[in-house]
Amino acid sequence: MPTQAIPMTLTQTLIMGVIQILAVLIVIFIIVPLTTFAERKVIGYIQVRLGATRLAGGHVGITGPMNRIMWGMGKVPMLSILRGLPIFIADALKLITKEDIIPAKADRGVFTLAPIISVMAAFGVFACVAYYPGVMFYMPKSWPVIGGLPFQGFITDVNVGLLFILGLASVGVYGIVLGAWASNSKYPLLGSLRSAAQIVSYEVPLTLSLLVPVLLSGSLSFKDMSVALSTGKDLNPLAIIPLFIGFFVYLTCGFAETNRVPFDLAEAETELVAGFHTEYSGMKFGFFYLAEYANMIVVSSLATAFFLGGHYLLPFGLQRFIPATMPIIGGPSFFFFFAKILCILFVFLWVRATLPRYRYDQLMDVGWKYLIPLTLVNLFLAAIIRFAF
Amino acid sequence: MEHLLETIGRNMFAIFGVMALCGAAFMVASKSAVHSVLGFLFAMLCVAGCFLSLEAEFLGMAQILVYAGGIVVLFLFVVMLVELSKFKEKSVFQLQSRYAVVAVLLGAAAFVAIFRNLIFGTPSTEALVLRPELANGLNVAQQNAQAVSRGLFADYLLPFEILSVILLVALVGAVVLAKTERV
Repeated sequence: MPTQAIPMTLTQTLIMGVIQILAVLIVIFIIVPLTTFAERKVIGYIQVRLGATRLAGGHVGITGPMNRIMWGMGKVPMLSILRGLPIFIADALKLITKEDIIPAKADRGVFTLAPIISVMAAFGVFACVAYYPGVMFYMPKSWPVIGGLPFQGFITDVNVGLLFILGLASVGVYGIVLGAWASNSKYPLLGSLRSAAQIVSYEVPLTLSLLVPVLLSGSLSFKDMSVALSTGKDLNPLAIIPLFIGFFVYLTCGFAETNRVPFDLAEAETELVAGFHTEYSGMKFGFFYLAEYANMIVVSSLATAFFLGGHYLLPFGLQRFIPATMPIIGGPSFFFFFAKILCILFVFLWVRATLPRYRYDQLMDVGWKYLIPLTLVNLFLAAIIRFAF
Repeated sequence: MEHLLETIGRNMFAIFGVMALCGAAFMVASKSAVHSVLGFLFAMLCVAGCFLSLEAEFLGMAQILVYAGGIVVLFLFVVMLVELSKFKEKSVFQLQSRYAVVAVLLGAAAFVAIFRNLIFGTPSTEALVLRPELANGLNVAQQNAQAVSRGLFADYLLPFEILSVILLVALVGAVVLAKTERV
């Protein structure tokens, strides 16, 4: 699929770029709050928490009158399938309207800059994520400047897209370190040191596990890699083994990179109050929150694209057994990609509800003593499969 | 609009270069060491932008990954942990040492001498190419990453390895120098 079928002037490129960026941002801003809502619900059901699974649908509260009418008619209230929604709305409102406090002894400039760096690094990564390998639709002909132009399934397709993603993701650690330093407080500093050490050390196995898809597909572009890994004609059937191992290593490192349970030592509330964002409130805290969930989506999309078949139905090169002429499952689809991302996001929540937190020395042991040797062996295996068979 | 965008696009390198210089100036001039590191980070990111504007995507991304993502984080670590109140200086530039001034002047002179042709001479008409005749069996590079890897692992493997060993020597030397005798 040619990336630029229609020659575009610079103005058109700029406008289309802005439109695509806005589209991606809107999707993120829809998914992230819904993920927090889903988090409450999923953890609520797994751990039998009352608020998220019972609130709304009762006789009192915001939806009380309507629910009373519906109970009276002998029906289950409509909102009961959305139990917990009031918490979610209150949560978002609180985040937006809360007073934005900057501690007196804080370094004001850096204190403000830190959440901005976090969010920019987390969102900038989406510039190279391909949601669909090609043109999704064409702009209507009647529109003034951009009529008839293709709307690609990605913002850009840089030929070193994967490096771009890894590089920007590693810039995100500045948000944590600088925010903690600027707060001028003990617990945030300790939390940020932990978190930075954790992110820097887990970056190594993360990158090494991503080298397996790079090696097997022979490319660094996000789109080309995901297409090659699901439909690749020259992908050896044995390549499933290193890809399968790599997937689990990658997912583990992804949990550590996003500071999620069971690796959320940066914000271990029993030891560190709330970690690096203890002194933050209001929307500045909201930015850190947003960045964490955006990072979760990034990790999910990378895992989807490189290990789970991306835009196609079947992963690991198995897609080539389905003829491309089959109506729905033969070709790439935005919805396959989206559904797989949602599945991995669910795994994030599932793990959070199930596993306890690691101790710090255990965390470092897992990273350095087990994951890095495992990824090296795995990489070696992939190299043998690529070149020997 | 079109004309403006074209002008901006043509001068992207200059824009990023000036921004990198601003970051570097901020790094030298700021009183707080953490602010200095921030300026350094900004300069590094802008240098990556310079690489990108020259269509050297791989180098630009490696710049971000290695310098911005790795080395500057270590700087920040050290700066955060060291008690900086001890080292607070009144003057921004340290001019106490005459030798430092001499060294800087020598460095500037050497820089001008090395890059004299580049700065004042006529621009070269032929682009610098890696040696494709050595790349037997490899396809012609289609991407930046391929071209760089061919340079590193086919054409200039020995110098590359020697450089790595020199870096290792520097590392070991630093450890030896920094190690205090424990009795």
